[in-house]
Amino acid sequence: MSEATADQSQRQEEVGSSTTTGFSMRNVLVHVAMYGAALVFVIPYAYMISTSLKTSEAAVATGMNWIPNPITLGSYIQLFATSQILQWGLNTLLISSITTLLVLLIDSMIAFSLTRLEWKGQRYLLALIVASFMVPGFVNIIPLYLVIAELGLINNYLAVILPFAAGPLGVFLLVQFFRDIPYELQEAAQLDGFSNFRIYTRMILPLSKSILTALALFMFVWSWNQFLWPLIVLQSEAAYTLPIGVVVLRDNFTIQPALTMASAVVASGPLFILFLLLQEQLMTAVEMQGVT
Amino acid sequence: MATTDKLDGITPESRSGRELMEGVLFASPYLIIFGVFLLLPLLIGGYMSLFDWNALAPAESTFIGLDNYARLLADEQFQNALFNTAYFAVLTVPSILLVGLGLALGVNRDIKGQGFLRAIFFSPYILTVSVAAILWTDLYSTQYGVINYYLGMVMSNPPQWLQSRLFAMPAIALTTVWWLVGFSFVILLSARQSVPEYLYEAAKLDGAGTWRQFRDVTVPQMRGAIFFVIVINLIWAFQVYGQPYVMTAGGPGQATETLVMYLYQAAFNQRSFGYASAIGYVLTAILVGVSIANYYLLGGDNE
Repeated sequence: MSEATADQSQRQEEVGSSTTTGFSMRNVLVHVAMYGAALVFVIPYAYMISTSLKTSEAAVATGMNWIPNPITLGSYIQLFATSQILQWGLNTLLISSITTLLVLLIDSMIAFSLTRLEWKGQRYLLALIVASFMVPGFVNIIPLYLVIAELGLINNYLAVILPFAAGPLGVFLLVQFFRDIPYELQEAAQLDGFSNFRIYTRMILPLSKSILTALALFMFVWSWNQFLWPLIVLQSEAAYTLPIGVVVLRDNFTIQPALTMASAVVASGPLFILFLLLQEQLMTAVEMQGVT
Repeated sequence: MATTDKLDGITPESRSGRELMEGVLFASPYLIIFGVFLLLPLLIGGYMSLFDWNALAPAESTFIGLDNYARLLADEQFQNALFNTAYFAVLTVPSILLVGLGLALGVNRDIKGQGFLRAIFFSPYILTVSVAAILWTDLYSTQYGVINYYLGMVMSNPPQWLQSRLFAMPAIALTTVWWLVGFSFVILLSARQSVPEYLYEAAKLDGAGTWRQFRDVTVPQMRGAIFFVIVINLIWAFQVYGQPYVMTAGGPGQATETLVMYLYQAAFNQRSFGYASAIGYVLTAILVGVSIANYYLLGGDNE
């Protein structure tokens, strides 16, 4: 594999250098453009981290000091001491984790049923679920709010978790994947007297680890980051998630960039660590959505 | 015995009955949640949009037929929000496609630190909208913002960005491109990487230069991914909410008020649930229309 690509790029270079003399010049330009773009992409991060480590006076000073002087954790200390950000972090973690687990469970079950079992009407059902892709989530916020209120779930984590778990994305991805698992395997298992439940737990799920991991990561990040819906149904301060909390904090501390940026670092830090550890799987989850 | 049925493609009645039961059983947890929290609200919304909905006493709501929709046509605030949303889509969707494609083609080249660059360009996508928006609100600040600090070195009167009617929406759009382009970039890069190399070699043998290769090989081969990127970004753009909510609250004036913001305001500030539901349905109609139009314009004869 790597030999083949090396070979290919060598051939590319040969073709390139024989046809255009400016090949290496072009190569330099590409490097400059790409690393230039990368610099632009990270400037906001640099600002966020640097400002969060400044004193509140230095953060609003005119002139740009990228390296804080002095470096202080004062904003972080004040943040944890005076706000409920820790509670919001726990809320967000809980909501994202449960949503992710629930989605993995129910989506894999229905995808199994739609691809591995044969029953009347399953095609129409799949078509209905796929069609729901076109319904923008925001359209539903008013009637959904009434349903949630009727069920007495306002300020309850379930008010966020259950609607998030209703989305069709996971079903769609898993159906695509389960379809490609060879049916011969299933038939052999059936000959050995495996029940469908055992085929689901012992065969399909273990064979689908890669896609389940990718889906889990994507769902986790996605539910962690949700803003509008939690803003509507989580109305008490103790129930906020981080995305809501940071906005409320910013509105409370008027013009306190050091504090605001510290809260932004806290709100996005956990996902950045997750991203650094598992970026391949996360990007795979994105790629899979494009392939469909 | 079960297997032979499947192999022959014939399913005896008793077996098909059992499979139906098990099939429904496996499907039901998702179906219940899907039904209660997605399908049911969608139907209720359609129903509500035909009423002058009384939020306090729903039973006393009056049926007004399509009056809510008729009211929308004449509502200037709705027209303004529709225009702003379309303007936002026009600013962001082509930019995301072009920037994403440019970055993907660049990273796909023989470049050092490919994995590193890929991670950098993707990374803003994992931020929550409120963090991205708060961050850029500071960057745009006219008092201590980085952008005007550096612009101030080369021009005497840098824009007022979020306080300016002219620049507020483009500023929000720029933030959005930075925040979301990573998603499209990853999809486009992956599509570019699966274009077979021999097509380029054949094109080169035919004497095609870089531009011809791009036009005749890259674009047609990546058509499916380009189509997907346009549609998904249009769908996101028409639902834009978080960025203007956090960065400008719809201002200055109503220069950045979008459809979803107006819907939210109609529902939760004015308690006009029926009217807000009608806005939601119009938004859905727009999105379905946009998706179908794109399908015919771009994706029609994909294979």
